[in-house]
Amino acid sequence: MTKRYWRCYVCNDIHYGVAPPEICPTCKVRQAYVEITSEEARKILAGGPEKALTPEGFRAAIEAFAGPNEFRVQPDKEKVDLLVSGVFENEKNHGLKYCPCRLRTKDWDEDLKLVCPCNFPAHETYRGLPGGECWCGLFVKKSD
Amino acid sequence: MARLLMFYGRECPHCKKMHPLVDQLEKETPVRFERYEVWHDEKNADLMRSFKDAIAPKCGQQLRVPTFLNADAKDAMCGEVDFDKLKEWALKQG
Repeated sequence: MTKRYWRCYVCNDIHYGVAPPEICPTCKVRQAYVEITSEEARKILAGGPEKALTPEGFRAAIEAFAGPNEFRVQPDKEKVDLLVSGVFENEKNHGLKYCPCRLRTKDWDEDLKLVCPCNFPAHETYRGLPGGECWCGLFVKKSD
Repeated sequence: MARLLMFYGRECPHCKKMHPLVDQLEKETPVRFERYEVWHDEKNADLMRSFKDAIAPKCGQQLRVPTFLNADAKDAMCGEVDFDKLKEWALKQG
């Protein structure tokens, strides 16, 4: 499963995946994606306006992410504060928003699995458990 | 006495919960842990990585914190546990 880069020829949205979206999520044009190189994708993304995500912005992003799903953001504010500070420390020191409750192996593909939010619904601390949580506890399953 | 290590992250809430339990255990028993912070000290991180084969099978095939490790017997336990479980694990390491 090799992921590649794709560019919408109408609005220049960039997609990274095995296949492009059938409909561009931004301009809604059908069959609008053409394959490009990683170099082109990086240039297009790097040339765009700076969009720094502050810790507050990250909180809003994870709330929006959790909203329609079967999990929610941890209600313990103190825990969330500590975790978000760790995620941002890790981004500053190690390049990506790595989970503060795990450790990078230094294998790029393996370590992408540690970027918050990770694919925690597949993990043993969450899957099939009432009240399941991601490993760090930032996301908890909504009660029925 | 076995060489016991605790790997933790400064911003990990589970690790934060475990420190007072480790303090209590060290006060009540001869057990001692060497504690290593792994997100802000690359040398400590490399030390934890060097035990990956012992840790990963007990920790969802990953390196997770907090992790408690018997460096001699290569036995590991990870995650937030209650005092009794921590004590039981530490005392059985000999």
